[in-house]
Amino acid sequence: MATELDYDRSLHGIEHEAGPFEVTESQIQAFSRGIAETNPIYTDAAAAKSQGFQNIVAPPTFCTIMVHRVELPDINLKFGGKPTGGGMHAGQRVQSRAPIMAGDKLTASSHLKDVYPKTGRTGTMVFIVWETTFRNQDGMVVADVQESFIRRG
Amino acid sequence: MLYFEDVELGDEIGPLETEATDAGVLEFCEVWANRTPNRFTDQAIAEQSNLPGPIVPGIMSMGMMARLLTDWAGAESLKDLDVVFRQPVPHHKPITIAATVTDTRQEDGENVVECDIMMTGAEGERYVGGKAIIALPSKP
Repeated sequence: MATELDYDRSLHGIEHEAGPFEVTESQIQAFSRGIAETNPIYTDAAAAKSQGFQNIVAPPTFCTIMVHRVELPDINLKFGGKPTGGGMHAGQRVQSRAPIMAGDKLTASSHLKDVYPKTGRTGTMVFIVWETTFRNQDGMVVADVQESFIRRG
Repeated sequence: MLYFEDVELGDEIGPLETEATDAGVLEFCEVWANRTPNRFTDQAIAEQSNLPGPIVPGIMSMGMMARLLTDWAGAESLKDLDVVFRQPVPHHKPITIAATVTDTRQEDGENVVECDIMMTGAEGERYVGGKAIIALPSKP
């Protein structure tokens, strides 16, 4: 039988909005340096324009640096009646929908996607998954980002 | 230019050999607006979190994994990257990123390539693992 998890279920279905966050050329260049990106469309505006883009393009996982600017509530998870501490970052997923470029203004809309337990060699853990949809200034969805966190009792 | 017809099940992508430096992680944290010092940049704070030393942010590792795929298939080809952080990634240690094609198919009018991707260490540590979906053009 599945464990009945004790957390704030009223959070399901609520969207947490944040932004707009302006994407700048220097942010994209610093992100690209961090991952040692060499493709010129991610590092040089002129090269990106020569390939038909309006401006320097953000590498595909760029939105991951914007996710934690969204303030998300604690889900008040309790394990055996006791509150749990901070979570460990377990995983991340990025689905790219459209290019993100310098000059874009992105808004973020986040919701609690899933909360589920898993039992392994080291005991039971609970996975908490948040999903954030990023849209640009034209209202176009540019990326969906999922972040999962693990909590232990 | 890589075309869908050039790709076969079992094809290996990479490896990409790299490493993360203190300076690189610090700059990444700054653009990420993650307040420093933190467990990614500072020895003492890392030790308080039971880590042997400062680690590479998960999303920085993920960005390096994406780079392997876009270097191979081209910018804007990567549609989905889904990773699991298995072990902390240390600074200044050799990192290897490699992927294997696990499926090729046509779906909703798109040419889809699926692969497994893994970031490993010199001693065989399995740091980050995941799956990716790439869309490729057909040969003209």
